[in-house]
Amino acid sequence: MVYITEAHPSDVWQMESNIKDKVVFASPRTEEERAFVAGACVRKLGIEIPAVLDEFGNSTESAYTAWPDRIYLIDAAGRVAFKSRPGPFGFKPEDLRAALDKVAPAH
Amino acid sequence: MAHPYYFPTIDLSCRVPIITALLRGSDNFLNAKYKSARKALAATLGVLVLLWTIGCGALYRIMRQPPETFARFMAKLPGPVPFLVFPFETLWMRARAGSLHVGDPAPDFALLTLDKTAQVQLSRLTAQQTPVVLVFGSYT
Repeated sequence: MVYITEAHPSDVWQMESNIKDKVVFASPRTEEERAFVAGACVRKLGIEIPAVLDEFGNSTESAYTAWPDRIYLIDAAGRVAFKSRPGPFGFKPEDLRAALDKVAPAH
Repeated sequence: MAHPYYFPTIDLSCRVPIITALLRGSDNFLNAKYKSARKALAATLGVLVLLWTIGCGALYRIMRQPPETFARFMAKLPGPVPFLVFPFETLWMRARAGSLHVGDPAPDFALLTLDKTAQVQLSRLTAQQTPVVLVFGSYT
């Protein structure tokens, strides 16, 4: 997982659903704050895949147009093999399966 | 012999031109009123379509801004309005399509793990002939 800038921080674009779920975080103002929220995200959601932190300038998010969420598959040659449509509407993990079967049929 | 009573009669035949003229007059009056109402309706619809088109363009443009700029803009709009009034999802899919395409070289990155004990570089993973799934996201 690549943790990127928050979609609905409480000081920018708060969502009622997040208040209901008690997922309320203001925009991190430092690298440490970002790492703290990312850690909470991974722990509370039970994410088991390796997670990395986008740098504070959001360069990786920007290069991949990834906000608020998106899925990519990079093949063994380092090329984009699958690119989901932009989230939240296009965030459909099930669409990844066909691309994975092509790139890594043994898995 | 004269009739003991007087029966008033109306000679319609000589009044037909007068009645026709009156009916035509009211017809013309109604037609003129209907035409002006139609024009007003068309003008209103035209203005609404123009405003809607401008709104779509503005929303598309703001969607292409950095995430925080877009989020701050959205926070100022009343609840579901942009989703109900504009084709939000269609505009979003186009605005956030991005410039990367399937088959393009994946932009390399070297990012720290959450505990900051290690750095993960994409090109080093793919150099091991390993496909990599990137799931971008946040908590909120």
